[in-house]
Amino acid sequence: MDALWDDFATAQNTCNGYLLATTISPEPPATDPARLYNFSRWTNAYSVQTDLRYKLQYNPSVHLEKKEAGAWLEVFTAFYTFTGKLLAAEEAQTAGKNREADWSSVYESWKEVLSTVYRGYSGNVFEAWTIPCLYVVGKYLRIFAIKADEQAAASQRDSGLAFGGLQEEDACSAASKNEKLEDAARQINRIFALCLGDRSPLEDSRKWALYYTANLLFKTYFRLNSIPLSKNILRSLRASATDTPPLSAFPKAHQVTFKYYSGVIAFLEEDYALAEDFLMSAYQTCDRRATRNVEMILMYLIPTKLLTAHRLPTQQLLQQSPTLDRLFSPLCTAIKRADLRAFNAALEAGEDEFVKRRIYLTLERGRDILLRNLFRKVFLAGGFEAPKEGEGEGGIAAAVRRTRIPVREIAAALRMAGATEIEDGEGGVDGDEVECLVANAIYKNFMKGYIARDRGIVVLSKAGAFPGTGL
Amino acid sequence: MGVDLAEMQHKLKVVITQAAEAGQLESIDWTTYPLPQHLVQAERDAMALPGGAQNAHSANLNASTSYLSNGAYLPERIHKRKNEDLEVTATEEDAVTPSWKKHNTNKGSMEDRMTGKSKKHDKKQKKQDAFRANGLGTNADVLEKRKQRFGYTIEKSYFRLTAPPAPDTVRPLPVLEKSLNHIRGKWKNEHNYNYACDQLKSMRQDLTVQHIQNELTVKVYESHARIALEMKDLGEYNQCQTQLRALYKLNITGKSEEFTAYRILYTVYTCNRTDMNNLLADLTLADKQKPAVQHALQVRSALASRNYHKFFRLYLDAPFMGAYLLDMIIQRERIAAMAAICKAYKPDVSLCFIAQELAFFGDVDAPDPDAGLRQ
Repeated sequence: MDALWDDFATAQNTCNGYLLATTISPEPPATDPARLYNFSRWTNAYSVQTDLRYKLQYNPSVHLEKKEAGAWLEVFTAFYTFTGKLLAAEEAQTAGKNREADWSSVYESWKEVLSTVYRGYSGNVFEAWTIPCLYVVGKYLRIFAIKADEQAAASQRDSGLAFGGLQEEDACSAASKNEKLEDAARQINRIFALCLGDRSPLEDSRKWALYYTANLLFKTYFRLNSIPLSKNILRSLRASATDTPPLSAFPKAHQVTFKYYSGVIAFLEEDYALAEDFLMSAYQTCDRRATRNVEMILMYLIPTKLLTAHRLPTQQLLQQSPTLDRLFSPLCTAIKRADLRAFNAALEAGEDEFVKRRIYLTLERGRDILLRNLFRKVFLAGGFEAPKEGEGEGGIAAAVRRTRIPVREIAAALRMAGATEIEDGEGGVDGDEVECLVANAIYKNFMKGYIARDRGIVVLSKAGAFPGTGL
Repeated sequence: MGVDLAEMQHKLKVVITQAAEAGQLESIDWTTYPLPQHLVQAERDAMALPGGAQNAHSANLNASTSYLSNGAYLPERIHKRKNEDLEVTATEEDAVTPSWKKHNTNKGSMEDRMTGKSKKHDKKQKKQDAFRANGLGTNADVLEKRKQRFGYTIEKSYFRLTAPPAPDTVRPLPVLEKSLNHIRGKWKNEHNYNYACDQLKSMRQDLTVQHIQNELTVKVYESHARIALEMKDLGEYNQCQTQLRALYKLNITGKSEEFTAYRILYTVYTCNRTDMNNLLADLTLADKQKPAVQHALQVRSALASRNYHKFFRLYLDAPFMGAYLLDMIIQRERIAAMAAICKAYKPDVSLCFIAQELAFFGDVDAPDPDAGLRQ
């Protein structure tokens, strides 16, 4: 128990924000696993205020100003209530009585802690070095909110209330199943505004908590599936860019997370150039040992790169992570080999996961690249043209490939690759469909040339028929 | 003895107040209604009869019982009215025979009353009723008024609610079912969109305030959605679609295959990426087996890869009412297809080819060939 106060005193005296944050953390440190338990046993509701006051104000090893001590008093009072609730909930959970674990009240009491900390900051009582405390409150608020919502959903399911529910306007209303998380989002938003509006000079400013809070908000909004709200955050950050230190000045962890989320938001908006920037930078800044993070970044980086640079990831890259390997390898091999059948199969196999991550629609564009590869193969297979008269003197003639390709050949290649859509149902091939595919490739600048319909051939440009592939 | 001005005016006031309370001000045919002085005269005549007051009392008893038995007839009357294809509402019809006359319905048909066979008897009833209304406010009278307002109306206009609705204006479930059939019939015959829309919205309102969520609710929304689609009212259609999705999630049976297909096509039309992502995430394996949904998904993928050829083939055989939605997409897709064709084909292409590729028929105007070229 005293370890807590020792830490507190040390932290206050050495201005160690992170150490201070551990004193109000819901997770006891490894060195003192029974900390919360001891804390809740140390005093009781009747005398909590006096005990705390003794520890904070009259404690010789802690030198706090009266106002600050008062603020900490409030924080620890709320923390005391919180530990009681948390321990009760945890006990219920370990005893297997999940239904009785009241995470909802845990959430509410933690919210109280947050409010007291918030008051400490808004009254300018706490100094800026203590902002890791904000990190702690925000982070756990989110976690408890998720737990409380899960429990609420489970209990609703059990009692069959899920169908009864609340009804408002027209027949059905949106589920309130994320109630706590939405509330948490609001609270964290308050903290964000608090940090943003700090007018103190930079060394002593709360603005250093900005990106961490922004990241928390992103995580929450993504979970709530309300991406547009994240755009508001980005906008406010951009608006105050002149006052805040640049992103590179913030801790690397904040940077990587922020870039990741900005990249994903840009990706979902179909702004692939911007997404590529963010995600690449996140990927490069990210520590290689944080494999899960790397995996998450790559998950979005690969489709982005596919679209912008038409580049596929190497085998080596994909093998870094089993999930990536499973999801993307078949696709990449199929595209390289221009195997339409395999591509469709791979896309379908991973469909659920792709759709969940919202990358399915982007991966479909991979089909365009596949078709381009296919046409290129046909082109290559066409061989070389016989050198014209008068050329090739001196033996330095560049062999020119045949540029006139009958549509029939392309159709045959498509059949071989397993394209079923070009069949017209009678065992033949729908030539118009093939022409359409070629026309699209030309339109999208995957090929340069034109279709001469009356002669049934595709004429490709002599130089650079397939831009970007060196042909 | 003549009726003097004061009495006539008093009587006039009474009649009008009663009509207003019963909500019959618009529906009573005032031109044929007896004049106030006649009414007063009739009263006096009746009063002059021996035992007039007694008559009043016994008629009162009769009236109560006859009303109650009358109440049981009411649904049948509505039913018959529909079959006879009359377009009057319950209130309108009642207005032709003023409320108190109903007490006699079990004795004679409407026609009898109108031809005045028992006019004297009617007048006596009227007098008695007026007598009662002036003083006692009986059960029969109140019940009578309530019957008209209590939502036995099949047709009801839509008014936006600004406060909780009056319970007597909300129609109960059986009436709503009849209402739906009635409106459907009228739509088939007349194709009056404003009217149908109005009626359906009021039905939706009645269902919502009563928290009714069953097959009837689904049918109402489906009908409204189809009608809106036909008339290209996408705002209304979108509302219905959203509600239908929520209702299907509650496992209420309805044409979920058809409407899931419409939803996909609608999302394609609005080019709403987020919605499309969410929609695809929601589709179950069972959904994807259904032909209409498969067709819609194929449309989506054809458009995603700009495969105009396939898209126009799919346009030609769209199931259910999907063609209406595709009609709205087709304009911009034709231009996009033209752009690709103009870029890819040289030196020229036959008009016939374009007409066929872009699914034009007959003498429909082909788009300006140069429109796509400059893209």
